[in-house]
Amino acid sequence: MIRRLWQPTHPVHTTLGLLLWALWFVVLYGGLSIVCAVAPPAAASGALTGLNGGLLLLTATVLALLAIMTWRCWRAGKAQAPGSSERFMARLGAGAHGVSALATLWIGLPVVVLPPCV
Amino acid sequence: MTDPRARHQAFEKVWGNLPGFGTLAAVNHTSIGLRFMVTGMLFFLVGGLLAMLVRTQLALPEQEIIGPEAYNQFFTMHGTVMMFLFAIPVLEGLALYMIPKMIGARDLVFPRISSLGYYCYLFGGLIILSSLFLGIAPDSGWFMYTPLSSAEYAPGPGSDFWLLGITFVEISAMAAGIELTVSILRSRAPGMTLTRMPIFCWYILAMALMIIFGFPPLILGSILLELERAAGWPFFEVAGGGDPLLWQHLFWLFGHPEVYILFLPAAGIVSTLIPVFARRPLVGYRWIVLSILLIGFISFGLWVHHMFTVGIPQLAQAFFSVASMLVAVPTAIQVFAWLATLWTGRVAFSLPMLWIFGFLIIFVCGGLTGVMLALVPFNWQVHDTHFVVAHLHYVLVGGMFFPLMAGLYYWLPHISGRMPSERLGYWGFWLTFIGFNATFLLMHLTGLLGMPRRVYTYEAGLGWDWLNLLSSVGGFIMSAGIALILMDLLLHFRFGKPASRNPWNADTLEWATNTPPSAYNFGSIPDIDSRHPLWDDPGLPDSIAAGDHHIPEIDHGRRELLGTDAIGARVREVMHIPTNSWWPLCAALGLALVCISLLVRVYPLALFGLVIAGIFLFRWSWENGAHPKAAPLGVNERTDPPLHSRTTDGPGRWGMIVTLMADATLYLSLLFGWFYLWTVSPDWRLPEETRLSTSGLMATGVLLTLTVFRYRRLTERLRAGQDSGLWPASVQTSVLALLHLGSLIWVIASAGLEPGALAHDAVLSVMLYYLLFHSLVATLASLLQSARIKLGYVSAHLPYEAIVLKPFWIYTLAIFWISYTAFLLLPLAWGGSP
Amino acid sequence: MFGFSVVVMAALYGLWWYAMRRDPGEISDQQAQRHQNRWVIWGGLALPIGSITLLLAFGIPAGHRMLPLPPAEGEALVIEVKAHQWFWQVRYPERDIELINALVIPANTPVDIHLTTADVIHSFWVPRLGGKLDTIPGRTNVLRLEADRTGDFHGQCAEFCGAGHAHMPFVVTAKSAEDYQQWLNNPDARTQGDRDD
Ligand code: HEM
Ligand SMILES: [Cu+2]
Ligand SMILES: [Cu+2]
Repeated sequence: MIRRLWQPTHPVHTTLGLLLWALWFVVLYGGLSIVCAVAPPAAASGALTGLNGGLLLLTATVLALLAIMTWRCWRAGKAQAPGSSERFMARLGAGAHGVSALATLWIGLPVVVLPPCV
Repeated sequence: MTDPRARHQAFEKVWGNLPGFGTLAAVNHTSIGLRFMVTGMLFFLVGGLLAMLVRTQLALPEQEIIGPEAYNQFFTMHGTVMMFLFAIPVLEGLALYMIPKMIGARDLVFPRISSLGYYCYLFGGLIILSSLFLGIAPDSGWFMYTPLSSAEYAPGPGSDFWLLGITFVEISAMAAGIELTVSILRSRAPGMTLTRMPIFCWYILAMALMIIFGFPPLILGSILLELERAAGWPFFEVAGGGDPLLWQHLFWLFGHPEVYILFLPAAGIVSTLIPVFARRPLVGYRWIVLSILLIGFISFGLWVHHMFTVGIPQLAQAFFSVASMLVAVPTAIQVFAWLATLWTGRVAFSLPMLWIFGFLIIFVCGGLTGVMLALVPFNWQVHDTHFVVAHLHYVLVGGMFFPLMAGLYYWLPHISGRMPSERLGYWGFWLTFIGFNATFLLMHLTGLLGMPRRVYTYEAGLGWDWLNLLSSVGGFIMSAGIALILMDLLLHFRFGKPASRNPWNADTLEWATNTPPSAYNFGSIPDIDSRHPLWDDPGLPDSIAAGDHHIPEIDHGRRELLGTDAIGARVREVMHIPTNSWWPLCAALGLALVCISLLVRVYPLALFGLVIAGIFLFRWSWENGAHPKAAPLGVNERTDPPLHSRTTDGPGRWGMIVTLMADATLYLSLLFGWFYLWTVSPDWRLPEETRLSTSGLMATGVLLTLTVFRYRRLTERLRAGQDSGLWPASVQTSVLALLHLGSLIWVIASAGLEPGALAHDAVLSVMLYYLLFHSLVATLASLLQSARIKLGYVSAHLPYEAIVLKPFWIYTLAIFWISYTAFLLLPLAWGGSP
Repeated sequence: MFGFSVVVMAALYGLWWYAMRRDPGEISDQQAQRHQNRWVIWGGLALPIGSITLLLAFGIPAGHRMLPLPPAEGEALVIEVKAHQWFWQVRYPERDIELINALVIPANTPVDIHLTTADVIHSFWVPRLGGKLDTIPGRTNVLRLEADRTGDFHGQCAEFCGAGHAHMPFVVTAKSAEDYQQWLNNPDARTQGDRDD
């Protein structure tokens, strides 16, 4: 069962990347809010805080994962017959993972420039 | 039985509604879908009337035609009626009507739930509307921000009408969401794999799932706010440790996905119509599926863009700002895929296409202002001004109303068997289109010039006067357009030219039914091997009617659907679905009684209503499986494919799991509220001593665990085909469940919480009652199941029902221990008393 | 921003109109596929991605400038504003000055408005001076404003707050540094607007 789900041609892969993205988004926003409520770094230190660093690290990890998954789906799609259901799903998965990666990159970028808690 | 007329009559006898008043017991999706749409249109007229009143008041500066009190009720009711009583229900109705026909099914898989949904919508809508005539309508805006909507600042019953009425109406949305999801996944015609589904079904599947995950936050929020108003539980009140911003989060967690819930089906209409009129398959089917997926997910990450001015850290705002701009990507993909389809096709121009063209012009403009609004500094400037009013109408009217009208004219021949008019329809379109733009294009400017929204009047000489006057004139032109359309529709049903079969030469299966459709849609269910069955085989309607395909029999007297598997659409079972039933109406009446008695605050009556609604619902569930009214064992027993009640993975289990997903979202919203208040509420306080018995709760949890394990063993054995000792096992489960239930009640009763004083205790109490509710329902269901085992409705041969109930028990167990950890242990570790 | 939007809009309408009128002749599936890729990739991906990049490159720095970060030198002037149903109560914490529905500020100086509420949510907004910020029960929000000229600026409540919402205006008077000092020492009655309810 799990093995079958892990095949990049299975329909779950069309949502897996987006789920990962959503989870990352929750952690990003939730983590920021909690740290800002409990122990906010000084406003004067700008964007150079441990909090920004942590969020950036998280973002980079998720980005790498999504990139790998995009590539996996894309490759699997190539191996399938044109017009087949498997190819459709793999391509769709590659697209969804790819856009998730793009979304992660963009939404993560402000972490580089903005101070966290003001 | 080869005579087509005889076949038709035999089918109608099984599938038709009851005559006369019996039609109120109808469960058929065609009837229910039409009722949803007609009721929604009537509410649209009410909402439009209110808009006209609003525009009359705003036409000139410093007018006092309508005082502020009435004005506030009018605009609040306008927004509420349009969003909750018109837009969502009409689209749901369209989906309920269309989906089975498009996927080649005879009905939805849970017909009685369609009917329940309709009555909840109707009664809830009427209750909300009545407040307007009583002059006590809600007046805090359609998003009901606390504390303005709380007992202190809105002492009248207006807010209660909103909270209770909308929650009641919401039941219908949830019902439609669950039912559409399961129907699309499990009852497509054989061979209609996911990749061969009509694109409209993808849109509706996404919409249905978004309802399932999008509505629960609002339902929870409404329950909490009503508890605050009625019982003084301070969830949103700073003095008691609550936070008004929690309401805004819960509301917009629903509110933003909501606008995409409206947009997706509308875009689905566009994607369905364009290929038909361009006479060319949709270009970029896969791209469009991708953008549907993207919209479905990304739209849940945008809600804070409605809260850019509440003082959230700017970095957090930046996340939501970028995410909001990102939805432009899937939207643009769709727009350009449509463009490419038109580009490669030879377009036949007609009335539906005109509405689509209007949609494009208006919606693109609304989308562009949307991207601007996502920009935080710009948002700080125009938020809560008439610029936003203009934007939201460009998106809602352009992105929902115009495609809806296109769809209406396109499917009108299907509903009535007549062709739409030419002349009157064109006039209606142009008046609406011109009137709309005159009203709202100028409103962008009014907003940029600084006019806030929701003001009942304004000073002369601020530069807003002539803009407002022109907006009002535009509004009346638009109403004239709508009136013309209405007239056109009325004349249509009387004088329209009869339509030929499949008059637009469409490719999808809904045009293979009779027009107007028969109650059973298809006399037999064809195999599907492409996305365009009617283009491939124009003779399909005849062979379907002649019974040349799957399940053509009717002499068994059951309503039967073909069940297929979710991905590959291989035949798995024959689903037998219920016929006309009064139970949904009765249950909805019981719930209406609950709603009304909560409004007038007669709580014993509310409890009574709840009990009778519960009784009706359980009575309804009794007529299932091998019950004589459903599919008793023996006579005409099918084996290949088997009847679904003889299997272990039928639609009921899917329905249960989808319902639990919605339920889990509600629970997660509660958890979110708990952590949210705990960390950021300005005045969060803990009670002085621990009052809830941690060990007592642990004990009742152990009992629950034993119950669920006992039940799991029972279902495992059934799955393996063994039913010896089934009844004793079921009785054991029920006894354990009763013990658990009793001890849970005791723990709650002896906890001595003070929900009226502290937000902490209030959230804790809601959590405990939530657990109690689940334990109670599971226990009652198990008790009933024991009785059904005794009667022989559940056995090795009929394992279905036991398997449907299992996920519910497991969910009950899971939320118990999660709550135990999150509400008791985690705070303890944090260093407070729970 | 508006100019760019209008161009995009006009181009789209034109293309769409042309697409509906044009007769493509016979088109094979392969050709359709090529059209698809061209339109979807350029229009559906490149166009929005490019526009958003532009918008953000402009928007994030703009937002950054509006933050109430500590100024480079000295401290920003603090004025406390408490919103009521339906009037604004203005206090100067360092002086014993209280105004209703009126603020007096020095021009060309950053001012931090500390916003609170006595009852429901309101929103403090002076369209000519900057964005709006809500007053939330239990919280203090800080809005940084700076007037770049002297004179009167019209302000009003921007968040719906009940029956009197339409009648919650106020005036911000920006004075030159000397005039402001003078005013501080002798706040005259003229600026103390009327309570309006
Ligand atoms: C028939 C043409 C319509 C006109 C002339 C119209 C007019 C208006 C006006 C003037 C307002 C602003 C009220 C205020 O801020 O004081 C408003 C608000 C609103 N309208 Fe419409 N409207 C129309 C159709 C619709 C439709 C079709 C929808 C939804 C599908 C809709 C949804 C809303 C919503 C959600 C609000 C916000 C209400 C609030 O602020 O609480 N309107 N409308
Ligand atoms: Cu939104
Ligand atoms: Cu206000």
